[in-house]
Amino acid sequence: MNVILSTIIWSPLLFALIAVFLPERNEEERARVRTIALAGAGVSFFVTAFFAVLGQIGLGQGGGLASAYQENHTWFWNFLFQAHYDLVADGITLPLLVVVTTIFGCAMFHSWKVHERVRLYVILILLVETAVNGVLCSSDFVLFAMFWGLLIVPMYLLIRIWGGDGARRAAAWFAGFQTVSLGLIIATAAIIVVEAGTQTSDMGADLATFSNTAETVGFWLSFVAFAIAMAVFPVHNWMIEAQSKASAGVATILSGTMLLLGAYGMMRISLTVFPVPAHYYSFVITGLAVVGAFWGSIGALRQDELRRFIGYMNVAQMSLVLLAIGAQTSVALVGAILLLAGQGFGSAILTLVSGAIEERTRTTSIRAMGGLVTQAPRLAGFYLVAAASVIGIPLLAGFTGDLMVFTGSFPEHRIATVLVMASVIVTTGGLLWVANRVFFGPVRDQFARVRDVTLLDLTVLIPLVAAVVLFGVRAGAVVPVIANGVLEITSRITGA
Amino acid sequence: MTLALLPEAMLVGTAVISVLVALIRPGLRPDIHRWIACISLVGSLAACALVLLGLRHLDSGIAVSVLNGGFVVDSFALFVAILACVTALITCLISDSAVRMIPSRSSAFYALILVSTAAVEAVAAEREMTTLFVALAAVLICVVALGALVKTNPRGAVSSFEHLIEGSVGLGAVLYGLALFYGTTRSTNLAAMSAAVSAAPGAVAAATALVVLGLCGMLGVFPLRQWVGRVATNVPAGTAGFIIATSLIAGGAALARVTISGLGPEVDVWRWLVPIVAAVALGYASLSSLRETTVSRLIGQLVSAQAAMLLLGLLAFDTGSRGFPAYGSTAFLGSLGITAVAILASFGILAMLQVAGIGDSIDDMRGLAHRSAPAALLLTVSVGTLAGVPPLAGFLSRVLLISSAADTHYGWLAVVAIAATLLTVIAAVRLFATLYADAGDEVPFTLGATPLLSRVVASAACIAGIGLVVLIQPLLAVATAGAGTLR
Repeated sequence: MNVILSTIIWSPLLFALIAVFLPERNEEERARVRTIALAGAGVSFFVTAFFAVLGQIGLGQGGGLASAYQENHTWFWNFLFQAHYDLVADGITLPLLVVVTTIFGCAMFHSWKVHERVRLYVILILLVETAVNGVLCSSDFVLFAMFWGLLIVPMYLLIRIWGGDGARRAAAWFAGFQTVSLGLIIATAAIIVVEAGTQTSDMGADLATFSNTAETVGFWLSFVAFAIAMAVFPVHNWMIEAQSKASAGVATILSGTMLLLGAYGMMRISLTVFPVPAHYYSFVITGLAVVGAFWGSIGALRQDELRRFIGYMNVAQMSLVLLAIGAQTSVALVGAILLLAGQGFGSAILTLVSGAIEERTRTTSIRAMGGLVTQAPRLAGFYLVAAASVIGIPLLAGFTGDLMVFTGSFPEHRIATVLVMASVIVTTGGLLWVANRVFFGPVRDQFARVRDVTLLDLTVLIPLVAAVVLFGVRAGAVVPVIANGVLEITSRITGA
Repeated sequence: MTLALLPEAMLVGTAVISVLVALIRPGLRPDIHRWIACISLVGSLAACALVLLGLRHLDSGIAVSVLNGGFVVDSFALFVAILACVTALITCLISDSAVRMIPSRSSAFYALILVSTAAVEAVAAEREMTTLFVALAAVLICVVALGALVKTNPRGAVSSFEHLIEGSVGLGAVLYGLALFYGTTRSTNLAAMSAAVSAAPGAVAAATALVVLGLCGMLGVFPLRQWVGRVATNVPAGTAGFIIATSLIAGGAALARVTISGLGPEVDVWRWLVPIVAAVALGYASLSSLRETTVSRLIGQLVSAQAAMLLLGLLAFDTGSRGFPAYGSTAFLGSLGITAVAILASFGILAMLQVAGIGDSIDDMRGLAHRSAPAALLLTVSVGTLAGVPPLAGFLSRVLLISSAADTHYGWLAVVAIAATLLTVIAAVRLFATLYADAGDEVPFTLGATPLLSRVVASAACIAGIGLVVLIQPLLAVATAGAGTLR
């Protein structure tokens, strides 16, 4: 019996259940709670990593990943449609699973910095991990919506309880936007199961029997739902607020995984299930990408708060992914997945570094900082590696993604691609400007006793940097795996 | 198949015995009456299960038909009977705290539970309008009396009286509607009624509107829905759960019988009236849930919203847009089961909190997760199930109801239902934030003051909110069988 995917999804929940029964009266007990939670995230990560290696072997032997890793049990059938506990990991899911489980592992290490209500904190993170892994692996619309909905309450509580000033408002924004997103996903699912006439909610079923109206409505509903999650302009404000007000660990999960899920959903549902309107309205998608890229990069330059700056950078980065989704070519979509991986790791590092800086300097203002490289050279190093990855420096995760997105998008939308490329220059300028303001320049007296990274920081950051380098150096090994998954999307678009 | 009448007979017989025993031995421990009631309910459940098994071999799906087809025990009636018995059994098992306050009247308490359960079973089996009205009146009187019996303050008595008045207005509307039907069709049989509705369209429309609105009141749906909030607030929680769940099951069963079995597709009026009622009720209840300040009233609003959601299933009783069955009745019955259990779970947890001395205000729940993590967790699951928070069973039931409605050209209503679900989810999230995010200054407490059995049963009912997600297929299978005999 193949239970690999179930293990990846449910092991965090299982360990969360164990953590429920553990006391947390003193530091020793809290450490035990964290260790159990880390074990939960660890099991998920190691099974995913093992699975990823096997996936490559399977691919090398000519085996299709979709058929190699699938669990399918009929969930209920005495109804209008059959629903399945259907889990699939194909070439798109596989690298993204690696990204999210790595980030959750690091977030769990980061929980050693949390000292209040540790048990609730780790339980909520493990619930979010279950939901994220579930969304990535679901191949049934009802199951997908269930896992998507599971994200909202734990994430809301994580932002609100452990966030700083203004976290209540940020959490409310998050819950409001994500609830609307969930509603739109339910509406999309209802249209699919009703209109497709296949009497199943299986994503893999042949769904090519929509009426034009249903297909167009379904496309727009799903597009808006995932655009919200992806923080696409103009529905990006929730992310900026949450990114700036949540604690560093929570913001890492938010920017590293939530945005990724939005892009994944857009590719998996908006493009795959509704290829005709997706192709027809690609100019709208591309237009949003251009506006979002400039809005994000120029907006970032106007920020004085470090985390809001990263939030706007995320908006700009996701616009590159949106450009690829608008282009709908194999090369661009493969690049988008790579970019998502690079963005996930890069944004996670930037968020953790900014959290560490705020912790040490007791300020969030970029203008108030300066000269930190003298006291914290390694912290500066981590920031520069992440910035380099986001910019797209060769041998780092972002490079191959950027390159493929631009080369894949250019034949379809030339002007838009050039404009988005131009925005990358602004992004680069912004990242370097922040590096200059925060780390270089004259040393400020009030930061003279700032510490460099601790062992705990290294434990959290080194795996992420290793992943950035690994995805950059070994992009050639990952690309065929992703291409295999993208094939399904492009074949539907071509068929349409 | 006289066995088919055994469930009701067993319950009424036991109620009489319980009262007689109390008259002969007034000082008997309340526990004895409770166990007598539980044994009777288990027996009734077993009888229902046996009859249901026997029905597998009958193509008609009808176990027994008496009174010229006016009283029919079919798979629908058995589904409702099982649901009513489970509801009553859970209530009996968690009723310690309520009965402790009225030890001398415990036999009356359990007798009323048994009689109201038997009346609900009768409602589900009725195809005769006169006896349907009588059975509904029996349910109303029993639950109102139950509320008055366990009152802990003067507000409880007033609330029961208000419930009686509001219920009577609803039943009065039903009675006027039935009289109009009789005047038009010369029959009080639901089956005969549908065949003769073309006689006077105006009178049929008025009759349909009166019956539907009256039964919606029993269901706890706008416009006659104020009793839900009053009962939730003023009646001790464990009993309030039973009153609301039983009324919901009785109202739902009666509405399904009258609309689907009786009026059917031949009468158009109810097919545009029910969606309007559902939309208004959904909007009103879900918006109201956002401004509630007490947990019991919040649960009441969520119940009203979920009851209105059930109406979507009623509408989708025939074939869908592609010519396949829409399975709305299946969704209706499945959701009715999930809702009943969620109501009992929510009020069961509330009862435990009341015993532990925790107030009903949402402010009183501040930091509950700090003070008693199990209490917070159970309240989260039960209220989340009622509100339709994913991935709990309430969410799944809403997905089923919404997709059924969308398949039968009620897309606009599906959109309203989705919007209402988002509002109820937000209302629930506000409560969760109070439970988990805010730190209370009060000292920690345990649920130990509530007897172990009550705690176990109420917790199991809460966990059903998760369990039914996994085990939805068996529920849907039984619901599909039940729905099959509605038409």
